[in-house]
Amino acid sequence: MKISVNWLKEYIPVTHTVEEMANKISLTGIESSPVELGTELTGLVVGHVTSVKPHPDSDHLKVCMVDIGEDEDVQIVCGAPNVAADQYVIVATHGAHLPDGVRIKRGKLRGQESNGMICGLDEVGVPAKYMPEEFENGIYVFDEPQKPGTAVYDLLGLKDKMVDIDITPNRADTLGMRGAAWEIGATYDEKPNFKKPELNADKIKDLNEVDVEVEEKSLVPDYLLRELKDVKVGKSPLWMQRRLWNQGIRPVNSVIDAANYVMIEYGQPIQAYDLDKLVEKKLVIKKAQDGDKLKLADEDKVLNHNDLIIASGEDILGVAGIVNGTVAQVDENSKNILLEAGVFDGASVRKTAQRHDLRDDASNRFEKGVDNGIVSEALVRATQLVDEISGAKEISKEIVGNYTEAKPTVIEGSVSHINHLMGLELSTDEMVGILDRLGFSVKVDGDKITVTIPTRRWDMAIEADLVEEVNRIYGYENLPNTLPAGMETRGGYSQKREFSNKLRDVLLGEGMDEVINFSLLSKKEVDDFNTLNTEYTKLLHPMTEDHEYLRNSLIPGLVRNIAYNQARNNNDLSIFEQARIFARPKGQTRPNEIEYLSGAISGNVISDSWNTKSQKIDFYYLKGIVDEVLSFTNADAKFEYEATADYANMHPGQTAKILANGQVVGLIGKLHPKYQKDHNVDETFVFELNIDALFELNEKSIKSQSAPKYPSVSRDLAILVKSDVENAQIISDIYENGGKYLNNVTIFDVYEGKNIKTNYKSLAYHLEFLNPNDTLTDEEVEKAFSLVKDSLVEKFNVEIR
Amino acid sequence: MSLDDKLKSLRENGIDEAKRAQRLQELNDLRVNLLGKKGPITKALRGMKDVPAEQRPEIGTLANNVKKDIQQAIEEKMTELNEKLVAHQLEEEKIDVTLPAAKQIQGTKHILNQTIEDIEQFFIGLGYEVAPGYEVEEDHYNFERLNIPKDHPARDMQDTFYLSDELLMRTQTSAQEGRDMEAHDFTKGPLKMISPGVVYRRDDDDATHSHQFHQIEGLVVDKNISMADLKGTLEALCRHVFGAQREIRFRPSYFPFTEPSVEVDVSCFNCDGKGCRICKYTGWIEVLGAGLTHPNVLKMSGIDPNEYSGMAFGLGPERFAMLKYGINDIRDFYLNDVRFLEQFKGVN
Ligand SMILES: [Zn+2]
Repeated sequence: MKISVNWLKEYIPVTHTVEEMANKISLTGIESSPVELGTELTGLVVGHVTSVKPHPDSDHLKVCMVDIGEDEDVQIVCGAPNVAADQYVIVATHGAHLPDGVRIKRGKLRGQESNGMICGLDEVGVPAKYMPEEFENGIYVFDEPQKPGTAVYDLLGLKDKMVDIDITPNRADTLGMRGAAWEIGATYDEKPNFKKPELNADKIKDLNEVDVEVEEKSLVPDYLLRELKDVKVGKSPLWMQRRLWNQGIRPVNSVIDAANYVMIEYGQPIQAYDLDKLVEKKLVIKKAQDGDKLKLADEDKVLNHNDLIIASGEDILGVAGIVNGTVAQVDENSKNILLEAGVFDGASVRKTAQRHDLRDDASNRFEKGVDNGIVSEALVRATQLVDEISGAKEISKEIVGNYTEAKPTVIEGSVSHINHLMGLELSTDEMVGILDRLGFSVKVDGDKITVTIPTRRWDMAIEADLVEEVNRIYGYENLPNTLPAGMETRGGYSQKREFSNKLRDVLLGEGMDEVINFSLLSKKEVDDFNTLNTEYTKLLHPMTEDHEYLRNSLIPGLVRNIAYNQARNNNDLSIFEQARIFARPKGQTRPNEIEYLSGAISGNVISDSWNTKSQKIDFYYLKGIVDEVLSFTNADAKFEYEATADYANMHPGQTAKILANGQVVGLIGKLHPKYQKDHNVDETFVFELNIDALFELNEKSIKSQSAPKYPSVSRDLAILVKSDVENAQIISDIYENGGKYLNNVTIFDVYEGKNIKTNYKSLAYHLEFLNPNDTLTDEEVEKAFSLVKDSLVEKFNVEIR
Repeated sequence: MSLDDKLKSLRENGIDEAKRAQRLQELNDLRVNLLGKKGPITKALRGMKDVPAEQRPEIGTLANNVKKDIQQAIEEKMTELNEKLVAHQLEEEKIDVTLPAAKQIQGTKHILNQTIEDIEQFFIGLGYEVAPGYEVEEDHYNFERLNIPKDHPARDMQDTFYLSDELLMRTQTSAQEGRDMEAHDFTKGPLKMISPGVVYRRDDDDATHSHQFHQIEGLVVDKNISMADLKGTLEALCRHVFGAQREIRFRPSYFPFTEPSVEVDVSCFNCDGKGCRICKYTGWIEVLGAGLTHPNVLKMSGIDPNEYSGMAFGLGPERFAMLKYGINDIRDFYLNDVRFLEQFKGVN
């Protein structure tokens, strides 16, 4: 809300610039920014149109003589349809500056000299949507005579200085000028002065003409009305209009304007009804029936049974606390009117306003709360203003639909505890002084203080609120900087986090870049890699189809990254992500969150260079990385790769499940060529590992051994074997038969093709024998080596080469 | 010619030949020829029998000196030739050191994780435990336990992805507060934790909004926690992240789960508070929200607010990284263009 300095001055002295005020209010209370309207405007004065003649060469232009307070009237050509003699208007004189860099110069319009411009309100900075409707398509005309030649800025509020406060939901007490005056006053140690509104006692009558019934008393704790008879609805005075349009409210007529003015002044929304338009002289505040319609100027809103309405007979006058329909609208012909001041339940107003997209100034205030201690006074103020401006013959006493006594909140606190929570040592007097500045009254009893909070600060409830008030007014800049001084604690990561950090470091060391992807995927993406065969987890109200399901694999994200990069000619890629996937067991609504580590590589490992040949990525390159990760798990487990064709979007001949002690903990392989093509990626290999499962494996217990002092003995073995026999089968058989001194077996050649019979392949192994305690003899090695060969021949029918 | 003269002439010739040698092989040959068993010196010494006995020791000494001198001349020349050889080899082996390296690549940790870990390390040093929470959370922990009941207007401030009436994608890492407080054994000392992680909001993605982003929640609950402790802790953090000269300031704010609540600004690291584009000419940059734990939040976790107090803060790694490295578009973090990612090698 924008707090006009001119308006504020009615309540407290103001000596600072708006910049200084905004800064100070931001630091002690509410985030604020300075606003200075019309800083660019110059040369705008009141003009009195003395004559209007048609333009000799134009149908719509007129030649006006205008008194602008100079020795002679000046001639101005004007195109506005509403210009007429004897009007008091805004004149932009020769050399005047208007908004958006417009500059007015003397000149000729179709041959006629023009010494300036007669302006509309929108041309001098009032937004078109906030100016009175009658001036929408023409120049602005003052209601009353003004002195020609005087500057127009103050008359129209064109150069108002304001502090725009951006309230948090708890400080709706400053959504009225009076509340804002209290807040700003407290920061400058100034108590505001308010005039109590009074009605002309002679006019008050027991009219007894209007009945009111509040059905939903719990949602409407206060509902008060006043009737004014025989008013003359007209235009509201300029001082009121200019304040309204600077608040972003369009002036309408003297009654509606007064109601809006009081809302800004007190923060209490006021509604007005034309009593003669009511079918019954009775208002009922009740829940709507499904299908009820509220007539608005440009549309009908279909209501439902949760909406609270103001009704008269069959007519729905308005939705409580939000908006009035057109049925009982006050217009220039209205004579007898009803003013309403009520308090409506915030949650109910909020839901209705949201449901019908009707949030406005009034609903905003009820949602956040209003001061139920000033409802009656605000109604008096509105009644007083309408009477003063529009002259009522008779005014009713307060008509009460519901009334709840406003009780001030009493908070008990302790000076030492409040100090303790701030980390300060204020004296009782200092603390009481600060609370007094806020208008709170304090009773002191030793360390104990009893603070009575006026109803305008309904956000205050507990001692912690006092801590905030005292601390902010005392000044956060005066707080010392300390650290918690309690018992020493040992900080650190969880064991699982340490574990995953370690594995992540391996991948970084292997040259893989870390990526972070979104957790929400499309339906297609969760279908693509449902490797865990889990139920999907779907958002109730997704925003887009791209982000509808919780991810069940990190691979779709990685593939998206590869495609994004390759589309930008970043072709050689090696990336990984460590994040959660969501796997929902059948019959459970909450998905399990499982930490995964996944990677993808595409392109070359080494690119062509002046001294090296490029090397393309393949399955075994990525397998090497995965092996290294697995070795860093330090798990006491047997890891195996088992060929699989189970995954639709993986290459059936180049994919393996990764097993730990027979349990699947991940997968590795090449993307299916079709999938690669659909996703615009080059040949890509991916892996995923279940970190949670790996973390659960037992830690290897390592007892150190000195490096053996005796030399090892090697034998090479070349065999010819059927193509479908896997390396893992051969290796495990060699170990089985190689005796206790067989220390290591590695494959060093695989060959298929020329010189090898079809469906056969040639494999070559390097066997290393070692006795840590003695030198091995040739006979010992030969014996073990032949056992190995014999077994291979027998089991796999290999040919030893 | 006397033996004496013969030896002297052999020395002269030998030294001369050694000096003239061009290759190592010539010197080796010279050594064998002159000094070997079949060489001229040995041969000349056979004439010793003709020398009178009293002169023999003198001639013997001379012969040894001649051998030594020739040997020395050969060795000197050998050293000289060897040095030339090495110098030649070095010349031959000269390379262009400006040609590009054979690439050795370490991967780059994502800049958000670098930022998060830097902050984690700071707090670990102060004795904080790092406790991740659930990304799918109950309404109960994400809102109600944080003093945000069903109809609270603050729920408008964060539009939520719900999975069911009671389950949602957490909108704030503060959701972890309730779980940590109920799990903590206060007889073992204060609760000091940070909870980093991913949060979700129903926001359209644009340059400054992302439906998924990161937060780090901090919470300390003990018998003597004050606003001054909060200020000291956060100033130390901001100095760690943004530089030793930084100061912070508190501005009053509102969060339902803290009272008092503050926004925390850090003095601008770009202009040192003088005012620039980054700080919108205020000299200050808003970096996080904080406050003392609301007594209701403590109570709901079974903690007596008369005995204990708490401080809490929540910060955004995206915001920290964007400020620190001048990143203008939050979407860059999630597009994972490797050219973007790799520029942050080892910055934290
Ligand atoms: Zn700056």
